Amino acid sequence: MATVEEPRTFIRPDGKEKVTGTGRYTADLVLAGELVAKFRYADHTHARITRIDVTKARALPGVLAVVTHEDVPDVLYGGMVKDRRLFARDTVRFEGDVVAAVAATTAAIAEQAVALIEVDYEPLPVVTDFEAALADDSTLVHPAWEEYEGNESLGRHHNTVGYTAIVKGDADAALASADVVVRGRYVTDPVQGVPIEPRAVIAQWQGDKVTVWTSTQVPYAARGGVAHVLQIPESHVRIIVPLLGGGFGAKCDFHFEGHVAALARAARRPVKLVFSRREEFFAVGHRREGMVIEFESGARSDGTLLARKARLVLDKGAYCGEGGFFSEMAAMHALGPYELENVNIQSSLVYSNNQPSSSIRAPTAPQVCWALEQHMDELAAALGMDPIDLRRKTLIETGSVTATGQVLEQIAMKETLEKAVELIGYGQELPEDEAIGVAVGWWPCFAANSGAYVKLNPDGTGTIITGAQENGTGSVMAMPTYVAAELGMQPEDFSMLYQDTDAAPYDMGSCGSQTTFNSGRAVIAAAVDLRDQLLDAAAEQLEASRDDLELVSGSILVKGSPDKSVTIAELAGEGTFHGKGAGEVPFAPEALAEGCVGQSGLESFHAPQLIAHAVRVRVDRDTGVVRVLQVAAAHDCGVILNRMGADGQVYGGVVMGIGQALSERTQLDAEGRHLNAHLTDYKLVTASDAPQIDIAWIETDTLNAGPKGSKGVGEPPCVPTAGAVANAIARVLGARVHQLPMTPERVWKAGQ
Amino acid sequence: MKVAATLSVNGFAYPVELDPGTNLLAAVRDVIGLTGSKEGCDDSECGACMMLLDGQPVNACSYLALQAEGSEITTVEGLADGDTLAPLQVAFLELGGVQCGFCTPGMLVSATALLADNPSPTEDDVRIGLSGNLCRCTGYDGIVKAVLSVAGSS
Repeated sequence: MATVEEPRTFIRPDGKEKVTGTGRYTADLVLAGELVAKFRYADHTHARITRIDVTKARALPGVLAVVTHEDVPDVLYGGMVKDRRLFARDTVRFEGDVVAAVAATTAAIAEQAVALIEVDYEPLPVVTDFEAALADDSTLVHPAWEEYEGNESLGRHHNTVGYTAIVKGDADAALASADVVVRGRYVTDPVQGVPIEPRAVIAQWQGDKVTVWTSTQVPYAARGGVAHVLQIPESHVRIIVPLLGGGFGAKCDFHFEGHVAALARAARRPVKLVFSRREEFFAVGHRREGMVIEFESGARSDGTLLARKARLVLDKGAYCGEGGFFSEMAAMHALGPYELENVNIQSSLVYSNNQPSSSIRAPTAPQVCWALEQHMDELAAALGMDPIDLRRKTLIETGSVTATGQVLEQIAMKETLEKAVELIGYGQELPEDEAIGVAVGWWPCFAANSGAYVKLNPDGTGTIITGAQENGTGSVMAMPTYVAAELGMQPEDFSMLYQDTDAAPYDMGSCGSQTTFNSGRAVIAAAVDLRDQLLDAAAEQLEASRDDLELVSGSILVKGSPDKSVTIAELAGEGTFHGKGAGEVPFAPEALAEGCVGQSGLESFHAPQLIAHAVRVRVDRDTGVVRVLQVAAAHDCGVILNRMGADGQVYGGVVMGIGQALSERTQLDAEGRHLNAHLTDYKLVTASDAPQIDIAWIETDTLNAGPKGSKGVGEPPCVPTAGAVANAIARVLGARVHQLPMTPERVWKAGQ
Repeated sequence: MKVAATLSVNGFAYPVELDPGTNLLAAVRDVIGLTGSKEGCDDSECGACMMLLDGQPVNACSYLALQAEGSEITTVEGLADGDTLAPLQVAFLELGGVQCGFCTPGMLVSATALLADNPSPTEDDVRIGLSGNLCRCTGYDGIVKAVLSVAGSS
């Protein structure tokens, strides 16, 4: 175990185009003859459609296509449950359901045509209270839920699209025997990903094949989605992602590529869709869900944690998408990184007529962690213990067995806690309006297939071909450094062909903090394959044993004979060298998981990333305004391969976490419509709000890790920040805020 | 009815014909063809469209293009000296000021204006000066360090 101290500079290969403005994002592309796409969205959040008439829209000069459900195959789609149509047919289920789409020569004409589409509805009862939607007599968001094709593990029932129970020991009996029992109920508002680039999609057909340029985090899922909804082979769909202007999960999953491809086919012209900021808020099937979270924990007077019960209800919104696993993910975060003998966690993911929730950076974790870490501080208070001491006594460590039966090996949970506490100066004397709060969390790695090629060019330079998606983090940009290290070359010797589904093998894309873990593994395997080919060729040419060769500075040398060598450029000019690789997908550790219902593969946390954040805040009791003054973030993310890139994830993740803690919330009206779908009232953290952030990495030798001992980095930094802020606020106020975000009004009220 | 005008962008004069309601961002991106400046909100909130008008930063999404006639307009494409990057551009790259890059053009333009106005800013000056530009990736740390490093070296 070692602590990484020295920052290393890393100039990203896509940097120059980004600082000069010459880089191209999707909305920057222009195709000859392209038309403008606009959508007609649902006029109600829950209603039966009785008539759609597009006659007047089609007749408007300048309109080349109007598309509805009648113009595409009648198929359902969805990552974990097929519950949605590309264009609403009988029913609209949320504000952003697309009823029709228009392609026209100008934006003004397209908007006029959208308004000319006539849609008649019979309104249905609107389900916005997702906790009430659990009841068996609640209005069903999907009356045909039993007919849907869906993942069998989800435990679907009525409005419940995912159900998970984690049960170990006898929580009720253990609570009855506890010296101290605390209970708490916490409620969170929905939150948005808010990439600064609103999404854009351009589709162009050539014969039977369509090319789609799109701002997606998951090109291969987008390809599969287009092929499915249009019922064409995946080989007829090519997805290209120009530079991607951030995603934060909001650009995961298949979204609007199908609509635009259908429009372009109907119009026989290229069609471009560029979202307004308002659409980027309300129309995407992606937001961090609202939750209701109830905890009950019991402990002995010495701080021994005896039992935890939890009840979680998550607002899935109108459609499942890829997010069906959220009930289990939330349940795992309700356990948190604690040793527990007796648990009973019940977690329900529930349909409503609100905007669909789905992956936003570390889905479900920040909300549940915020509630659990407050709950643990409340337990500490009831015990008369310091909250750090309670965590020292109860957190997992190497050798611990989790509540789902996973044996944890080589983790540095407690070490991150100690480092965060040290960096923030815990225990220091502070003004009475300031306090320090601490929270801990965890997050799994995701093992998946990926493949890559590395080819040599005749001049001895190389090209890396990967399906990995660069969303801004730099994890793809770091790949030339790994390949160069294997081949004794320089990172600058390599170009990259990426974000093009026709070029590279399948890849999960930029999701689950797993680009380095999986795509990096594949790229390194391809480089090793190429190295073997070069060594074989050099051994023959130099008449030497392969074992005596080494790759140094672009040449292959015979060890001990400096005059016997051949350059990689010489070899490359004589043959075609191309390596391919996938690497061996590491096994997820086993979990016994008895008493666990609704298993979607998260019963064990593969190579868990451990996090401790400590924050110092100032609270203005008269106004409820909270300012985060300082953050100390300590992470065990395995071996850090790119310090500047990893630090960048923590800086950005912590600031996102502060936004979630204090200001970011989507407000919905009584029918589930957005009230603040713009950046004026949806308040992001600015440069002047952002605090000093100190970062520490605790490197561990992790079992079944990614390349070179790495784990994921991107999602964990936003997991415990809000919980740490909450605990700091409570220390100043002597009272707790049970709603997230902790707005000035809520903080002020809690302090009264 | 389109109106003929000449817009001077990064030292070049562009004859254009524009609807009077066209905003400066649309004119520069769609008519002149310089796509470095971005549209993130169309609401003067995110700063991704920031341009300089005679050295003063404006949210180009909310500024009428025809009002910019007679002014020298500077976009991110005009910051480098030929192939030589401006010190701010280099510092953004070296100090982690760039991730997805979508806010970067506006951020660089705002930072250029900030340093022209105040060559020796404090960290607070930089943070307040850039608070009209939203970044979702970097937590602003690399950006603030980059601006301070250039200020310190001048």
